[in-house]
Amino acid sequence: MPIETTVVGSYPKPPDEGQPFTVRKTLHALERGDAGVEDLARAQDDLVMAVIAEQEAAGIDLITDGLARWDDILTPFARKMAGFEIGGLLRWFDNNVYYRRPICTADIEWRGPVSVDAFKFAASVATKPVKAVLPGPVTFARLSVDEHYGRHDKFVLAIARVLAQEAFELEAAGAAHIQIDEPALLDAPEDLELATNAVYLITEQLKSVESTLATYFGDAKRLGPELFDIRVDCFGLDLISGPENIQLIRELPSEKNVQAGIVDARNTKLEGENDLVREIEELASLVGEDCLRVSPSAGLEFLPREKARAKLERLVGAARRVGA
Amino acid sequence: MGKIDLAGPGLWTTSVGSFPKPDYITKARSRFARKEIDREELRELEKKATREWIEFQDSIGTDLIVDGEQYRGDMVAFFAEELPGFEIGGLVRSYGNRYYRKPIATGAIGRDRPLTVEWWEYAQSLTDKPVKGMLTGPYTICDWSFNEHYASRRDFVLDLAKVIRDEALDLERAGARYIQIDEPAASTRMDELDLVIEAMAVVTEPLTAHTITHICYGDFHKAYPKMLDIPVDQIDLEFANSEYSLLDEFSDDPFTKFIGLGVTDVHSHELESVDEIVDGIRKSLKHIPPERMFVDPDCGLKTRTVDEAKAKLTNIKKAVDVVRAEL
Repeated sequence: MPIETTVVGSYPKPPDEGQPFTVRKTLHALERGDAGVEDLARAQDDLVMAVIAEQEAAGIDLITDGLARWDDILTPFARKMAGFEIGGLLRWFDNNVYYRRPICTADIEWRGPVSVDAFKFAASVATKPVKAVLPGPVTFARLSVDEHYGRHDKFVLAIARVLAQEAFELEAAGAAHIQIDEPALLDAPEDLELATNAVYLITEQLKSVESTLATYFGDAKRLGPELFDIRVDCFGLDLISGPENIQLIRELPSEKNVQAGIVDARNTKLEGENDLVREIEELASLVGEDCLRVSPSAGLEFLPREKARAKLERLVGAARRVGA
Repeated sequence: MGKIDLAGPGLWTTSVGSFPKPDYITKARSRFARKEIDREELRELEKKATREWIEFQDSIGTDLIVDGEQYRGDMVAFFAEELPGFEIGGLVRSYGNRYYRKPIATGAIGRDRPLTVEWWEYAQSLTDKPVKGMLTGPYTICDWSFNEHYASRRDFVLDLAKVIRDEALDLERAGARYIQIDEPAASTRMDELDLVIEAMAVVTEPLTAHTITHICYGDFHKAYPKMLDIPVDQIDLEFANSEYSLLDEFSDDPFTKFIGLGVTDVHSHELESVDEIVDGIRKSLKHIPPERMFVDPDCGLKTRTVDEAKAKLTNIKKAVDVVRAEL
C-alpha cells in the first residue's frame, strides 16, 4: 500500500493565471449591491468543486473543501455563535495574512451549524473522503479577546462546548474525518492540560469519526510527548517550520497516527521527490506505514494556485513510491 | 540623526504613505493591464492623482507631505517588479477579499537604477512643504516574498538592505530630508528582531536625512522596548487600532525616539471624531513631548475610499490644532 496523503485545510482561492477570479469579483459586486448572496454561494460552490477536483486529480487520498468559503478558521464560527463580535485585523501567526479578531462580550452559545452545509456539499461533489476542519478551542480563545468570562479556562471550555456540538452535527451529516486545528498551542505549553480537557469534550462523544489534532507553523517540542494524551486519533505536525518534530514522532504511542507535514506550504520552492521519498521512508520506519499520512506543512492558501498544485503532485509522487 | 526643519513647536501632521486611488486610477490600471492604454497615459493620470493628493494635504495644512503612492500597487511588489533577482509570483490572499502578487526571489537581488527618485522629485516640485521619501524595508521585502535562491533569510535580507540603502542615498542626493523605510513585518518574529536591526543599520548608517520606520500589526508588547534599537530617528506606530494600549509600555520603558502617532484606524469606515483624536493625543503627550511627535493615521489609507481618507486626515488636523493651542 502506498502511503496515504492529505491536506491540512485551506487551498488558494485565486484561479490559475489568466482565468477569471469569480469569487473575488462576486464579493466586490456584493459590496456594491450588484450581486446577491446566492451569486456568492454559486461562485463559492464552483470554487469548492474546482478545489476538490484538483486535489483528487493530484491523487490526494483525504481531501478538504479548501476552506474556500472562509476568510480564516475563526470568524465563521464567531459570527454564528452567540457571544462574539468581530474586531480589528491582526496578523495570522507569522504570515503576511490577517484575520479579524473575535471579541467575546457575552455568554457563548451554539446557535446552529456553521460548517455542516459546506461539508455536505463538498462530500456530494467529491469521490474521495472529505475531512471537516474546526478551529481548536485553545487557538480560538488565544486569538480572540475575552471581555466576558475573565478566566481563560472558562472561556476555552465555553468555546469547546460549541465546537463539540458542531462536531456532533458534522458526524450526523456523515463526516468520517474531523480535524481540530490548534496551532496556537505550540506557543502555549501552559495550556496543554486545558487543551486536553477541551478537546476531550469534542471528541469523546464522536462514535466513528477519525479525529486529528493539527498543529503547524512551528514545532511541538515545548509540549513534549504529553501532547499525545489529547484524545484524538491522529496528530498533525509540521516538519518544515518544526524540523525537531521528528524527535517527538519517535515517541508517538503505537495506537496513534501522525499527519506529517513534509512539503513547505509557505514557500514556492519545490521539494525534490527523492528527498521526500527518503523522508517518508524514515517516518514510516518510525511509526509504521499504516499510522502515517503525509501532507503539506500547513494550509496551502499561502501559495499561488499553480504552486499549490505542484506541491500536491510532488507529495503524491513521493508517497506512491514508498511502500509501492 | 537627521534634523527636523518644520515650523512650530512640534505635533506635526503627516501620513504613513499610501492614499486611496480615485476611480479613474483604478480603471486606468485595469485598462493598462489589459493593454488598452499605454504606460504614458497611465502615468499622466497617476501624476494627476498625485497632484490632487498633494493639493489636498497642502489645503488642510499638513506639515510633512507624502506623495500618496498612486503609482504603486503593493508596497513590496512595487520594488520587486523592478529589482533583478525577483520574479513576480501569482496571487495570494492578504486578508478578506484582498490579494497581492507575492514576489519570488529566484536569483541574487540587485538594483539597476533608482526606483522612487523621479516620483519623489515630481511630488516635491508641487509643494513648498517637505515630501517624504518612501521605501519598503529589507526585512519586510524578504518576509513578504518567497525565497527560492538564498540559503538563509539573513543572506536575503542583507542583500536587500544594500539595495534599499542605495535607493535611500539616491533620494537624499535628490534632496529628500525625510526618508521613511517601512518595516510592517518587523514585529512578526521576535527572534528575528536582531536581523531587522542589523539590516536597518545597513540602510541608515550613511544617511543624514531624518529617518523613520513604520511598523504595524504585531505583538508590540513583546517587541517593546527592543524595537527602540532599530537605528532610525522615528518609529511610526498604530495606536487607534489597539486603543492606545502601547502607551502602558512607555511608563516602564520611556519611548526615546521621535514618534509617529497613529490616531485613526485605517481598516474601519468609521470616522474618529476630533474629540476622540484629541483625547488620544493628550494621553500620548504624557509619555512623549510634542517636539518629538508626529500625528498621522495608523497605517496607509489606501483601503479607504477617497472621501473617508480625506475626512480622517481632516479630523487629525483639526484635533492637532486643538491640542497645539493648549501647548
